[in-house]
Amino acid sequence: MSEFKVHQRDGEGVSVIDLKGYLDAHTAPDLENAFQKLIDEKKFNIVVNCKDLSYISSAGLGVFMAYIEDVRKNQGDIKLTNMSAKVYNVFDLLGFPILYEIYKDEQEAVGKFAARK
Amino acid sequence: MSRLKKILFISGALVVFLTVYVVDVVRHTVSVDLEGALYLREGAIIGAFFLLYLFIRGERLGKPIAIPKSIGKLLMVSVLVILVGSMVVFFGRSPAGEGEGEPPYFAIVHLLSVVFGLTLGLFSINTLLTIKDLLLHKRRKGTKRNLVVYVVLLMCASVLSFPMMSGELPLAPTLLFAASVVMIVVNSFKQNWIVYLSRREKLYSIGYSALLFLAFIALNLLTTQSPVDQVISSFHYPLKTFAQLNAIFGAVYFGMAFISTLFHLPTAEVYERKQSELTSLHNLSRLVTQVFDFSDLVNTVTAMTLEVVGAKSAWLELIKERGANGQVAVEVVSNRNISHEMIEVITMDSESSLRRLVLDSKRALLIDDAGSDRRTRHIKKQGVSIGSLLSVPLVSQGEPIGFLHATKDFEFGFDQDDIDVMTTFADHVTIAIENSKLIEKSLKRERYQQEIMVAQQMQKRLLPQRLPYYACLDIAAVSEPSMEVGGDYYDFVKLDGDRLGVVVGDVSGKGVSAAFYMAEVKGIFQSISKLCASPRELLLRSNESLTESLERKAFISLLYGIIDMQKGTLTVARAGHCPMIYVSGLDARMVRPSGIGLGLTNDRMFEEATQETTLELRKDDLCIFYTDGINESRNHEGEEFGFDRLVQAALGSRFQSAENIKQTILTEIRNYTGDSSYGDDMTLVVIKWLGHLEA
Repeated sequence: MSEFKVHQRDGEGVSVIDLKGYLDAHTAPDLENAFQKLIDEKKFNIVVNCKDLSYISSAGLGVFMAYIEDVRKNQGDIKLTNMSAKVYNVFDLLGFPILYEIYKDEQEAVGKFAARK
Repeated sequence: MSRLKKILFISGALVVFLTVYVVDVVRHTVSVDLEGALYLREGAIIGAFFLLYLFIRGERLGKPIAIPKSIGKLLMVSVLVILVGSMVVFFGRSPAGEGEGEPPYFAIVHLLSVVFGLTLGLFSINTLLTIKDLLLHKRRKGTKRNLVVYVVLLMCASVLSFPMMSGELPLAPTLLFAASVVMIVVNSFKQNWIVYLSRREKLYSIGYSALLFLAFIALNLLTTQSPVDQVISSFHYPLKTFAQLNAIFGAVYFGMAFISTLFHLPTAEVYERKQSELTSLHNLSRLVTQVFDFSDLVNTVTAMTLEVVGAKSAWLELIKERGANGQVAVEVVSNRNISHEMIEVITMDSESSLRRLVLDSKRALLIDDAGSDRRTRHIKKQGVSIGSLLSVPLVSQGEPIGFLHATKDFEFGFDQDDIDVMTTFADHVTIAIENSKLIEKSLKRERYQQEIMVAQQMQKRLLPQRLPYYACLDIAAVSEPSMEVGGDYYDFVKLDGDRLGVVVGDVSGKGVSAAFYMAEVKGIFQSISKLCASPRELLLRSNESLTESLERKAFISLLYGIIDMQKGTLTVARAGHCPMIYVSGLDARMVRPSGIGLGLTNDRMFEEATQETTLELRKDDLCIFYTDGINESRNHEGEEFGFDRLVQAALGSRFQSAENIKQTILTEIRNYTGDSSYGDDMTLVVIKWLGHLEA
């Protein structure tokens, strides 16, 4: 199994998290730490780029659930972008598209934050 | 040696001596002179002494040699012999001696000489055997040889001392006597037994050997006294030389023993201490394997500390935690002859506390004079008095885990040896403590393991123990957790109006928390399924109950279907779960009404998203419920089994029984994954519609 990597990029008023590899129960704490760090730094406009995310398990999905409430309470949001069909299917099965904004393209998501200002 | 043999030896010897005595008396009375008989008589006496030797050796055999005690016994016997000898001298010089020659008088005098000769012979043999034991204690290669040479010379010298033999070889007895004395001196240098005596035993040995030396000198003098000389000669001539040489041996040997014990006395204490150190370390290394009771272990450690370095008090501390600024929190786990308050005073935590000093150096700390040493001056101020103090760290894999302290009442109480021994001792203690902790840990783990096994049994009972039976349905089901306990769930519920509820669910995450949620889901499902008219309603009400109790990152996916056996329909609602696979003839498709996982969102959004769908069942239609462990099973390349393979497996086996279809799917998955173990819990429920109920 390939490893999992979280990389953070800070743009203007928007933070982008790049995910790579397998997100499951073992690797979920890495993403949790990244979210916690952003919230601690009061960066609530978050885009998660799933371009290189090859798999996500239910524990991985749980990470998004754990932080969305805090982020939205602070007028921020977590938007998801660039998902492969397979990963989207997992999100979709669970009904995530109803709960999260999912975009094809990272720029589109960043643009949504900008437009709101 | 058997009892019978001993009795034979002693009685044989006594018979010989008695016969010799009787013959002597008769011979004297009748005055018969037979040259040959004389040789026979002396030979018989030598033989009888040999029998006595065998008897005494047999008596001593198998009894452990207690050294100062055996010398003490010899001393007692020697005093007795001297007393008898003195009596002989006294009576021998009495005027009555003038009347020698009268037969009745001769009988009495000769009896006395036989008895005395016998006593002296026995004593000489005993002396020789006692010295033999001392010589052979921690013997070297030549030790026994030297002794044997002496004994052979002794025998030859004794036998050749017959007056009638000396005629032919006048110098031989003298030469042999001289050679024996030389061997006596050679043998007397072997005094190895002294080294192994304790101080007390050495003191005894000094007394005994000094007295024995004097006793043997006295015996030597006695044997040369004319009455004794006469008495012995009249009984058995060789006995004189034999007794004399042995008396010389005794005098020389115990004289040497006296001197060497005297020289060994100053080292006695050192030797004793080394021995007790050795014993203690040996005991501890044995203790290392017996560490099931922690408090026993630490108490033994402090007790042994007192023993090993001869300390007044000792205590053992284990580090509980270390602060960032070097402060240490310790727990005194065992203390001897010292109160906790005193320990508090002595080790008072300050910038230069004893523990810090030991920690910084990671080596033993010695305070020779606690009263004036700057590091411990505070102790005296608090009214606690100690002379000297030794503290050693317990270091495990480079990390200090505790301290062992020992104190003495006087200054300069510990020397370099003590430090070395305490340091070695501390290493053993560390290993013992670590082992004890490891054992405790593994016992705890074993207990957890057992608890998990109980949980596994409990969880298995939460799944249906028997599948429901209906004439129009063929049902097969399986659920395998990937770990001991899992988060998968399936269940059936019999509803009114010939309806059957089927549910399959999956709790996010794994292990114990998932198992708890699964139990909660079962409770909710069983209690409200009969109250809900439709699958959708059940999901709505379940979400309501679960949103409250689930932690934020946890959620549950559920697929719930109700089969109406009168209408021949299946109504399905889905809460974020894998879609149902529906196979009808050659047509296979995913049934996927929209819906969100339970516990993800509030009721309004959930209600809006959740739909249900109804299928008209035809004969031999297949409905397959499963969890993502099925389609996400991976092969060695990390590729998933996927929905397509699942559907193909179902299509390929659609004419078979539900049980066979289930087996086919599992076999396909196993073939696909190979020996890579299942990554997730797997649950599979196969339902085949056999046709409408006959009215």
